[in-house]
Amino acid sequence: MPRKLIIDGKEIEAEDNLTLLQACEQAGAEIPRFCYHERLSVAGNCRMCLVEWVGAPKPQASCSLQVKDIFPNKDGTPARINTDSPVVRKAREGVMEFLLINHPLDCPICDQGGECDLQDQAMGYGRAAFHRFHENKRAVEDKYMGPLIKTQMTRCIQCTRCVRFATEIAGVPDLGATGRGEDMEITTYLEKAFSSELSGNVVDLCPVGALTSKPYSYTSRPWELKHTESIDIMDAQGCNIRVDTRGRAVMRILPRLNDDINEEWLHDKGRHIWDGLGRQRLDRPYVRKNGKLVPASWSDAFAVIAARVKATTPDRMAAIVGDLAAAEEIKALKDLMTRLGVPHLDCRQDGAKIGGGPRPAYLFNTTITGVEAADALLLIGCNPRWEAPVLNARIRKAWLNGPLKIASVGAPVDLTYPAEQLGTGVDVLNALADGSHPFAEVLRNAKRPMLILGGGALARPDGAVILHHAARIARETGIIGPAGTPAEGGWIGFNVLHTAASRVAALDLGFLPAPASEESPGGRDVAGIVEGAQKGEINFIYLLGADELPLENMGRPFVVYQGSHGDTGANYADVILPGAAFTEKDGLYANFEGRVQEAQRAVFPPGEAREDWAILRALSDVLGQKLPYDTLADLRRALVADLPQYGRLGQVPVWEGADPAVWNALGTDGVFTADVPMGQAIADYYLTNPIARASKVMADCSRELLHSDENKQAAE
Amino acid sequence: MASVWTYMKMVFGWWNHATYGTLLYTARKGVPVGTDSFGNRYYQTADGKRRWVLYNGTVEGSRVPAEWHLWMHHTVDTPPAADMTKKSWEQDFLPNLSGTEGAYHPKGSLVRGGVRAPATGDYESWSPNA
Repeated sequence: MPRKLIIDGKEIEAEDNLTLLQACEQAGAEIPRFCYHERLSVAGNCRMCLVEWVGAPKPQASCSLQVKDIFPNKDGTPARINTDSPVVRKAREGVMEFLLINHPLDCPICDQGGECDLQDQAMGYGRAAFHRFHENKRAVEDKYMGPLIKTQMTRCIQCTRCVRFATEIAGVPDLGATGRGEDMEITTYLEKAFSSELSGNVVDLCPVGALTSKPYSYTSRPWELKHTESIDIMDAQGCNIRVDTRGRAVMRILPRLNDDINEEWLHDKGRHIWDGLGRQRLDRPYVRKNGKLVPASWSDAFAVIAARVKATTPDRMAAIVGDLAAAEEIKALKDLMTRLGVPHLDCRQDGAKIGGGPRPAYLFNTTITGVEAADALLLIGCNPRWEAPVLNARIRKAWLNGPLKIASVGAPVDLTYPAEQLGTGVDVLNALADGSHPFAEVLRNAKRPMLILGGGALARPDGAVILHHAARIARETGIIGPAGTPAEGGWIGFNVLHTAASRVAALDLGFLPAPASEESPGGRDVAGIVEGAQKGEINFIYLLGADELPLENMGRPFVVYQGSHGDTGANYADVILPGAAFTEKDGLYANFEGRVQEAQRAVFPPGEAREDWAILRALSDVLGQKLPYDTLADLRRALVADLPQYGRLGQVPVWEGADPAVWNALGTDGVFTADVPMGQAIADYYLTNPIARASKVMADCSRELLHSDENKQAAE
Repeated sequence: MASVWTYMKMVFGWWNHATYGTLLYTARKGVPVGTDSFGNRYYQTADGKRRWVLYNGTVEGSRVPAEWHLWMHHTVDTPPAADMTKKSWEQDFLPNLSGTEGAYHPKGSLVRGGVRAPATGDYESWSPNA
């Protein structure tokens, strides 16, 4: 029930489930705060948000006072709240004075300087030239929080945002406080690293410079940086990011607010791979001569490719799209290969048995916000904590706030919320589909059940069978519901969790083996291409940033590698065409929901590297199959003509209802390879792609956070 | 004996040698004051109101050493002593070297080999042989 309040003389109606601080913000008043954060529980310990409730004996902490607790005056007039009266100002100045007793005057050398809440609010509420404390300031020993978080604990004002984030959002209760009053200290206990994939967010949350980014420390000042809005491509969630650059270097990556995707969080890989953007870069074309790669000009490299293409027939050529490619270059490569008549195309480096069907069959249809409406969740071969950490935080949020029951088929991992382990055997899917398993009952009784198919399930040799059974479970248990959004009463709980940022766009564009027909036996998938290369049936392979392939088993086909980093692909290539990393080109990426977003160019590619679509366009001319677009705008127009959803940026496809024929035909009915346990899609969260593997920070994280036990054993 | 070309340069140019006008004026009114370490000769009028220099070589303002510069600009009235000694920390006077081989090039300039300290925006390129 809304209540009337008079805030700063303005009468408003505030919902009674709000806090007074939120009501004041609705009235347009800005309330300073340190401990309060919209997405964390209310702590009420910094006292900076004090407001005056006329008639109350003392100022009130607005963050923890609820609107429903504010009663009207005796004469029935609404309660009067002042947010900028002399009383309030004096109270806040007093709070600020207390905070600054023990806060060091580090601002000139502090990394938070220029974007510090305490600094900003001290400008408003600090008492200039007034200091009555002559004792020494408290000094606190710095804590070790892992390779990403640098601590300067003397600066800490004990707002406990980091502790609440770790416990509530990250679900890893590694942080806590010891001591009371002035002796209170935030610590990880026992000098342990903060072992969360979301740990970098505490740096953003920290209102002072107590927790700062270790890789970024002392490298730049916030006012020197140019901000470019972009999309994270380290996983397929498409977290919104801001790329901060100085000159031509990416200095740091921060999350952007997007409630539909990442709220305001970003996972550690997306946040800290920027040092990988400056290492192992391909900055000039190379051509292999007498077994050695030597630098070449663009025209020489193209000439070598053209000669090779001329000497080969299309059915002996293949093209594979990597995990980080944008939709534009996938389309350009697909168009070029189609013109050349190449049937062997694939985008599924991991060998996932997905795609080719209608769009909902390979999307995360529930949508990320839709997860919060679900009440039962079945994970199949999926470890969302590594495959999409920010989505995992959303699942945890749904579990915290609602009656979400979770079960997992696959390797037992700590997901930060309890999940019933249904084992690693694939046979359990049969039991779930025919209803004999107890969790099938949970799914059937749930109003909004969902399942998530991960790479661990789909990338198996029997992935198509698992897909078929997942679709069967979905049909049997009401996971596939009526059309529309959850708000409209519609529901679709069938989800595929991709790990590659390029995957959905490549599937949308049909970068898949050509279907078999009467004239041709059809195209080969990645496994077929590798096998064909071994046998010498494929002797030309075009890799668009594809580095996760077992190239060492391939024999010696002619390999063209186009990409930004020197990784597996470049080492085996015969021609290297240097491309741009995601911060260096304008590109469209479709996340696993099918939401298309644009990553904007922040800096230019290094050396002679070029934007990837332009390389393919130039190459097409040399090959005599000129692609019909000369500018990125032309290319996007062609892309939108094929796929209208690529013209609607940021929008998620609305569930249009089930076509039974489609869902019945999903995957292939067959027998499981039951003796193989369900594995994980990702072996090492920190090292999943060429950029991450080039990053020193990611290598440190992998060593310290994932393999610390092995290191200790080796040391002993 | 100088060639005709030298005389032509003295008539039409002022940057290789003092012009005829200056030489004539110096012969008529010039009272020699001294000579600096470069061999430039300094003159003034009898009343000391005008002071000038005949360069030994290229006519270039920066070739007047600091001590003579003071006198030339009427900052001091006594010309520097011929036996003036230098402090141990004083460097030899250098005229402006721009445009010559001795010109200053900052660190990292290609003329100095192009080697500079690492800076923002540098990247490590991949090399196939590493």
